[in-house]
Amino acid sequence: MTTFLFWLFALAACGGALAVVIEKNVVRMAFWLIVSLASVAGLFFLLGADFVGATQLLIYVGGTIVLLIFGVMLTATGPLSRTMTVTRGEHVLAGVIGVSLLCVFGVSVLAVDWEEVEGGELGVEERYADGGTTRPLGLKLIGIDGEKLRSEVGGRRSEASLDARLSTRKSTGYLLPFEIASVHLLVVLIGAAYLARAKRRPHERNRH
Amino acid sequence: MTFERLLDDLIRDTVHVSLPAFIAELIVCATIVILLLGRLFGTDRIVTPRWVAIVGATLAFAASIGQFGEVFASGRSPIEHTALFTGLLIHDPLTVYMRILLCGFLVLMTWLTAVSGIPDREDGPDFHTLLFGSTLGALLMAQSNNLLMLFLAVEMTSVPGYVLVGFQKGRRQSGEAALKYLVYGAGAAGVLLYGTSLVAGTLGTASLAEIAMRMPSVVGINAGPLASPAERTIVLGSLFIFAGLAFKLALVPFHFWCPDAFEGASAEIAGFLSVAPKAAAFALLVRVVQSLFGADSGPIEDLRHAFGIGLAVVSALTMTLGNLAAFGQSNVKRLFAYSTIAHAGYLLMGVAAWMVAGGEAGLRGLEGLFYYLAVYVFMNLGAFAIIAIIRNATFSEEIDDYAGLWARMPIVCGGMAVCCLSLIGIWPAGGFIGKFMVFAASLSAGWVSPVMWALVAAAAINTVWSLFYYARVLRAMYLESPTDSDRLEEIEASPFANALVLALTIPVLLLGVFVEPLSRVTAFVARSIVG
Repeated sequence: MTTFLFWLFALAACGGALAVVIEKNVVRMAFWLIVSLASVAGLFFLLGADFVGATQLLIYVGGTIVLLIFGVMLTATGPLSRTMTVTRGEHVLAGVIGVSLLCVFGVSVLAVDWEEVEGGELGVEERYADGGTTRPLGLKLIGIDGEKLRSEVGGRRSEASLDARLSTRKSTGYLLPFEIASVHLLVVLIGAAYLARAKRRPHERNRH
Repeated sequence: MTFERLLDDLIRDTVHVSLPAFIAELIVCATIVILLLGRLFGTDRIVTPRWVAIVGATLAFAASIGQFGEVFASGRSPIEHTALFTGLLIHDPLTVYMRILLCGFLVLMTWLTAVSGIPDREDGPDFHTLLFGSTLGALLMAQSNNLLMLFLAVEMTSVPGYVLVGFQKGRRQSGEAALKYLVYGAGAAGVLLYGTSLVAGTLGTASLAEIAMRMPSVVGINAGPLASPAERTIVLGSLFIFAGLAFKLALVPFHFWCPDAFEGASAEIAGFLSVAPKAAAFALLVRVVQSLFGADSGPIEDLRHAFGIGLAVVSALTMTLGNLAAFGQSNVKRLFAYSTIAHAGYLLMGVAAWMVAGGEAGLRGLEGLFYYLAVYVFMNLGAFAIIAIIRNATFSEEIDDYAGLWARMPIVCGGMAVCCLSLIGIWPAGGFIGKFMVFAASLSAGWVSPVMWALVAAAAINTVWSLFYYARVLRAMYLESPTDSDRLEEIEASPFANALVLALTIPVLLLGVFVEPLSRVTAFVARSIVG
């Protein structure tokens, strides 16, 4: 089942990416980009990196692509201008950059000794295989280091010494940035809405 | 059950330690929400947004004054630094000092907008939301103890600022200024973020306190300057962080946005941008320097020394360019924009002297910086407030149109005279004391490095030079006769405007005459940073 899903997502990711390159209409390109990026998110889920997968879905598929489509909507003046024209020089330039990037990736992939990775320390961590990556992140948000907690509980110390250790050690929590960013976003949203909306003053209307 | 204990600890720490110390910021947040809810429920027809804003700012100011007694009057010489919110913020004398300055500034600012009426009733909630949002960012800048908070706070200060610059919609100049400011600001934010990520990545921590502890393990391990890659990365990251802050301070290679943004924005906003983000950025600069270069080890002191010399050069360039460019301006707002740039240079002298001299002598640089900042809040906001008041009366911001105004607006023109004297640095205005302290600190730092003597010489020449362009404004007001005297007949300042001018300029004079009380406080603040 996992193998089947892997091939499905991998093919969709590569196929989508190819289709982005081949397609000439910007809106359709955006659609294929969604397919490709969503499949990459699927690959992350398969690896047990569920937080990264969710972030990928939210930011790239949910945010970036929608922005792209909005951008096309707002800037395109007619239906014809949505197809892109690419000059010969741009083909050559893109080809050079693409091939060199492929070389870099190829070299770095081949440089890894995959036998060692599968058996050795670099392999997928067992404890995250069931997708428990969000819990440590959530604990870190309120300033509790899950890793240290686990090792200390696992060490079978007496409870008193454990408590003493935990109370002396301070770990940075990230609740404040989380909360204060919401105030910031509220303020900025008001600013954006102010700049975007038209003035509603009665005497202004009369003047026109 | 240990988990519950941890949660209990966290809640207790947040509710009993962090939130009470954070009360002024919470009031600012609450004011933002009340302003917005007022429009939702239609209560802004009954209670105008400006009153909500004034009350909110005054409450925040009162709360921060309350902390003053707790910190300074307690008699414990250097109070312990309390880390708030699991170490993201720090509560120390500098925090309290800056909080009082910024909240007091917010009160004066809301008063000014009420007098000059730049946001009309319709736009009031938006304007004050942005103003309070930006001030909240400045408050966080002054107390951030973590690179993440540093970046977030700088952004919180800047982004509402972009909108405020473009607040007068439909004015082409205003929109252009906002766009310029936005593009430069986005670039600077990127540089700042890159710098923080380099430092955090190399040292493995984002906390400023831990950075200070880990610096000695990275710097100066190998022989020779910049020998190890980690050290080079740290230096590069520090340079980027300084560049990001220099943008906020409008120091010389990064000052291009300042005149355009100030000319495009209304005078009130120019006054806000010239004070609140800059004062906060100086506090943040001091914190970053103390974190990166505060450790007691030879190689780090060499590094701090080198960066101090760099800042001295930037400071000399900034004041020279600001003063030279100010000379040719005919628009008053633009003139004071360049004057603001020049003053960032003078203020930076204090930081440079602290970094170069180090130790007890260096503390006098910080003392001077904090004293100068307190004067700067009043004199610079005063100058821009007077520009706004005169604009409301004469609809002009050109120097030539100021001719003969003193007969019609004696108090306002008197206020301008005090502000200009203070900006030049002539006794009895407070600017003299600020400048004197910074100059003296740089002079004594000259024994460590003669570059500081050159800096003092440059600053002295600049001070004399600045006399000419400030005097132009005063000459127009007092000596020149108006071109058409009929126009002047109808001009007069409202009692509220006069009261505001007095409230802004009397402290400038008081700070020049009664130096002792505030200088004791700033000495205490400076000592608490290092000790």
